[in-house]
Amino acid sequence: MIKVLVVDDSISVARQLEKIIAESGEFTCVGHAKNGAEAIKMNHSENPDIICMDMNMPGMDGLTALRSLTMLDKDVKVVMVTSLGGVGDKFTEALKLGAKNVISKPFEAGDVLKILRSL
Amino acid sequence: MAVKFFGQFLVEKGIVSREALLKAIDLQEQKNVKFGEMAVAMGYVTQDDITRAHNAQLSQDIKLGDLLVQTGILTLNQLNEIITRQKNNHLYIGEALILVGALSNEQLQQYLDDFKADQAPYICDRVELPGGIADSEIWEMAADLTYKMITRVLGLPFRAGKCETITTAAANFDMAAMDLSGDVDARFIVSVSQELQKSVAKAILGETSVDEEPPEVLEDTVMEFVNVVCGNIAAKASQAGKIVTITPPVTINPDTAGLAVPDGYAGLCFPILVSEGETMQLLLFVRK
Repeated sequence: MIKVLVVDDSISVARQLEKIIAESGEFTCVGHAKNGAEAIKMNHSENPDIICMDMNMPGMDGLTALRSLTMLDKDVKVVMVTSLGGVGDKFTEALKLGAKNVISKPFEAGDVLKILRSL
Repeated sequence: MAVKFFGQFLVEKGIVSREALLKAIDLQEQKNVKFGEMAVAMGYVTQDDITRAHNAQLSQDIKLGDLLVQTGILTLNQLNEIITRQKNNHLYIGEALILVGALSNEQLQQYLDDFKADQAPYICDRVELPGGIADSEIWEMAADLTYKMITRVLGLPFRAGKCETITTAAANFDMAAMDLSGDVDARFIVSVSQELQKSVAKAILGETSVDEEPPEVLEDTVMEFVNVVCGNIAAKASQAGKIVTITPPVTINPDTAGLAVPDGYAGLCFPILVSEGETMQLLLFVRK
């Protein structure tokens, strides 16, 4: 099973993603971090294959965490999951910082799984 | 399902790779000349004028071109000439993708048509606002997008009531807010009664019953709805060249007297009529 770490301050988004991941039968959720700092710690402790991370979070935001994660591990696979995906500058910044893709909110299960399978 | 820009649509669909898109964006950044550079290249201003204007912009919220006209360095005709030249020479992302070999001409046309069809549900319909509201086109779009997301994300049938100006917003069971900044200064609030909070939670969590959910989860779903709407407002605004920055959503709990519109702000209330006895409102507090 491919291990996924979910990073989002919203309990409801984490639940949505965890449900999609669990029902896929291909991926397993290894944890839920509520901000960027927790994501960095849990990337070390849980060693996920993929990180699904929000951009707009209190404390350390998603882009700052992405910068740190890619500096610490150049092979890390991060997909940003955000309502800001349609803002061209944010999307481009995420890709330039090393995100593998960006999933826009609201999302559908099929779109999330298609992107996770492509990594 | 969300507001997107063309490059994102192509990557999400797997039509172009992220590497190809980044290459095309690099090419755009090299080719697309900034306003100040174009003004210098056309001989209307010097680099020193641009440096002085940039310094003046630190203390004034004004576009470079408008500032140069205001200070008499450029005429209005010259400003328009520069903007026209910039637009005529602009390299769009689709053209850049052709130049880097990621798309052919024929594919570009086909995918542009697919993109337009994908984004058709988000074409703005007219929403009438009271007169005298700053950045009214943004708030019309924000209200329209909220209505569209109530349909598409929450699946709730509703009728939009007439927008009214208010000085105090009535208290409601759950009020989730997000501050919008950048080219605008406003607070976006969605207010729902108890039963409508459950309807929002069912839709966001994809559950048929939320009776056992703790209050913080129910509140979180309303905040997440606000986050989704505001992120898409920022995306739609960016297509119109406006920067809208968002912050994490919060729940606000006014006392029974309601929530007063702060001094210096205009209050707008958009009633959202879902069912008898249940209240849902979009509230916007917009800096005057």
